[in-house]
Amino acid sequence: MLAVLTSTWLAAVLALAAPAATAPPPATPAPPVLRADAKRILSLVQAPGARATVLNVWATWCGPCRAEFPALLAAARRHPGVRLVLVSADFDDQLPAVRRFLAQHGVSQTTYLKAEPDQAFIDGLNPTWSGSLPATFVFDASGKRVAFWEGEADAHRFEAAIEQATRSASSKEVRP
Amino acid sequence: MNRRIRWTLAALLALAPLAGLAPAARAQGDDAGPKALALGSVAPMRDAAMKSVDGKPVSIASAAGPKGTLVLFICNHCPWVKAWQSRIAELGNAAARQGVGVIAINSNDPVAYPEDDYDGMVARAKEVGYTFAYVVDATSDVARAFGATHTPEAFLFDARGKLVYHGAVDDNAHDASAVHEHWLADAVSAVAAGKPVATAESKAMGCGIRYRAEKSQ
Repeated sequence: MLAVLTSTWLAAVLALAAPAATAPPPATPAPPVLRADAKRILSLVQAPGARATVLNVWATWCGPCRAEFPALLAAARRHPGVRLVLVSADFDDQLPAVRRFLAQHGVSQTTYLKAEPDQAFIDGLNPTWSGSLPATFVFDASGKRVAFWEGEADAHRFEAAIEQATRSASSKEVRP
Repeated sequence: MNRRIRWTLAALLALAPLAGLAPAARAQGDDAGPKALALGSVAPMRDAAMKSVDGKPVSIASAAGPKGTLVLFICNHCPWVKAWQSRIAELGNAAARQGVGVIAINSNDPVAYPEDDYDGMVARAKEVGYTFAYVVDATSDVARAFGATHTPEAFLFDARGKLVYHGAVDDNAHDASAVHEHWLADAVSAVAAGKPVATAESKAMGCGIRYRAEKSQ
């Protein structure tokens, strides 16, 4: 009870201390955003411990990316054990907008910002990717890519790809 | 051919895909969108007339230069295009002076991106200083025929009409002063000089082209 009262009091103090803002407050604090190249991203998606991994490359300026974001997050949250890796392709000076967008969508996990030239990043993730955004890659538990597409997807497509990845023979047992 | 043989052949054709006789597909699960025009190909839909920002119809054929033709898929709204647009204007205007015809095509559905409507194109061409044709692909069929997926995306054809370069403007959209690879400018110079293009393909991020809905057949 004391903890609840303390946290409520703290929240009230922080709310009063915060400067007046014109935009609605973010749903969550802005998550850490780390710079990463394709090699680093691939090592993340291939790390053991997940039943499947969904990698989404997006940008704040990309309309279809913004449009599909809620469906992407909802699909990942519906499947326990599925790892979501979000990589922004925004320019470095757009980092505040990236943080704001993530916070508004309730993303609290660490996310990534593309940190190498486009061509190396694109081909490093998948040579068949043209560079068009958004791009989604789905991997099974062994790190094998089982789906990839360019362009906006709906909830059904995300769900189907995750189901496919978790059904994959190599996803039956999650590597410790 | 008697009736039994015809039925047997029809059944074999129907079952061929199941027997693995169908054309090879992409890797399982991969759907990278339309496949871009292959190097060495000629431009599709060369004679399709598209309304330019000066109100006149322009086709790829009519925009072609004696030494080659540069087809650029661009638009107004995309930050990647905006980052490159002054370089696109400079490069495109210079290409035309070198005998390489230039046509910039906007295939986006303006319902999805209002900024990409015709009035926006007229204003952008004036603002940035495009002296080449900037046209509306009113059905998005030209983009489909090229397999163009995003903006900006360049297709450069040589004097014989063969595709010799496909890809990005250069290797740094954000900072012109930090460019190391001037892929498109180098390719245009090579084509204008009648020489082989050193780097025929490159990639960069871009905004996915929002095609207009296909008309039902």
